[in-house]
Amino acid sequence: MVATDEELVARSMDGDVDSFNQLVLRWERPIYALAYRVIGRDEDARDVAQETFLRAFRALPGFKGQAKFSSWLYRIALNLCRDWIRRKKRTPLVDMPEGVDITELAAEQGPVESIEDLVARQEMSRIVAEGMKLLPDEQRTAIVLKEYHGLTFQEIADLQGCPLSTVKTRLYQGLSVLRRHLESRGMTSFKSDKES
Amino acid sequence: MSITFTCDDKQTLVSYLYGEIDHATRQVVEAHLATCADCASEVMALGDARAGLGLWVPPDVELDFTIVKKSQLPAPNLLRPARWWNTVPAWAQAAAAILVLAAGAAIANVQVKSGPEGFAVTTGWMQPAAPALSEPFDGAAVERRVERALVALEQQLRNEIRAARPQEARATGPVDETTISRVRQLIAESEQRHERALAMRFVEFTRDLNMQRRADLQNIGRVVGSYDGELMRQRQMINNVIRVSATPQQ
Repeated sequence: MVATDEELVARSMDGDVDSFNQLVLRWERPIYALAYRVIGRDEDARDVAQETFLRAFRALPGFKGQAKFSSWLYRIALNLCRDWIRRKKRTPLVDMPEGVDITELAAEQGPVESIEDLVARQEMSRIVAEGMKLLPDEQRTAIVLKEYHGLTFQEIADLQGCPLSTVKTRLYQGLSVLRRHLESRGMTSFKSDKES
Repeated sequence: MSITFTCDDKQTLVSYLYGEIDHATRQVVEAHLATCADCASEVMALGDARAGLGLWVPPDVELDFTIVKKSQLPAPNLLRPARWWNTVPAWAQAAAAILVLAAGAAIANVQVKSGPEGFAVTTGWMQPAAPALSEPFDGAAVERRVERALVALEQQLRNEIRAARPQEARATGPVDETTISRVRQLIAESEQRHERALAMRFVEFTRDLNMQRRADLQNIGRVVGSYDGELMRQRQMINNVIRVSATPQQ
């Protein structure tokens, strides 16, 4: 039987490091993915993810369970991302991930995809990354938390420290900018879909 | 209370888009979309944008983060990142070693002199080289000096005999047997004295020679010993330099 986050947290607070490492194993990839999509750099995303777990381990005695452990982790990670962006004073770079093998990606999608479809998918991914790069940090973070981590509006509002309505507005504005960017880059299939 | 939805209600549209909406509101929105082409196309376009986001995946990297207690940490790895001296070519390191040796020799004031009498090695701050070392023992030269002394002594003896004979002839006139025997006796006594003197000088010379030889051997042994000590000290200094160079900086 797989232990829940709450059970592992309780054991960790009793000094069981192995339980905390199970939490790390469970959440390291989502935290890394969050950091990567927010700040857009592989190495820095790794550093942020590692620092997130170190800070969580140190702050574990102060974790009262008033929020989900994952939400607590996301908050730490987002704070670190915000610090990173502020410190570096850079526009987050959102590039096509170098580690992604487009062939493997296609294999996951099914064996019938042609070479043309692979190229089109790669190009579309690059255009999407460009569009995300255009968004303000708050809109991009809201979209990342919603699209890739499945957080509710309220959870995002709690993490971003803003009203729930603001989260919805950020999502709408961000998706609208992304849609216009996709259309401007020749992704006319959306128009044709609408027209058809 | 009836639920309404208008084209400007983007927050409700987003809630509908993500499915975070109650059943009653969903029905109202769907009813509006069925009659409003603009809202319907917008929902479709936003849905396509969300679908496009699905292609954006992070790199598939190995993370394997692990929290380890300090007490469980392994011993520090002795293999450290390469330091600047690890990248110095071997010839440069050899040149540096020679430079250290030269500096050590300069500090110790090592002097090596060569000449017809052989090599002489001295150390120390401006101290003159030991006389025994500047004039090392040479057996052939000593033998030549002894031979020259003997020749000089014989020549001196002959001159004295030659000078005595005319004086005797002038003083006596006719020479009788007694006088001749007396002269012969004197000559014999003189020769004996000279022989004894020569023997004594030879013995003294031999004794001095042996003493000088022993003194020279002692000096040579002392200097060689000090030179070995100097070499040992320089070797230890080089070892210290190598040890310090191999110690990683903190």
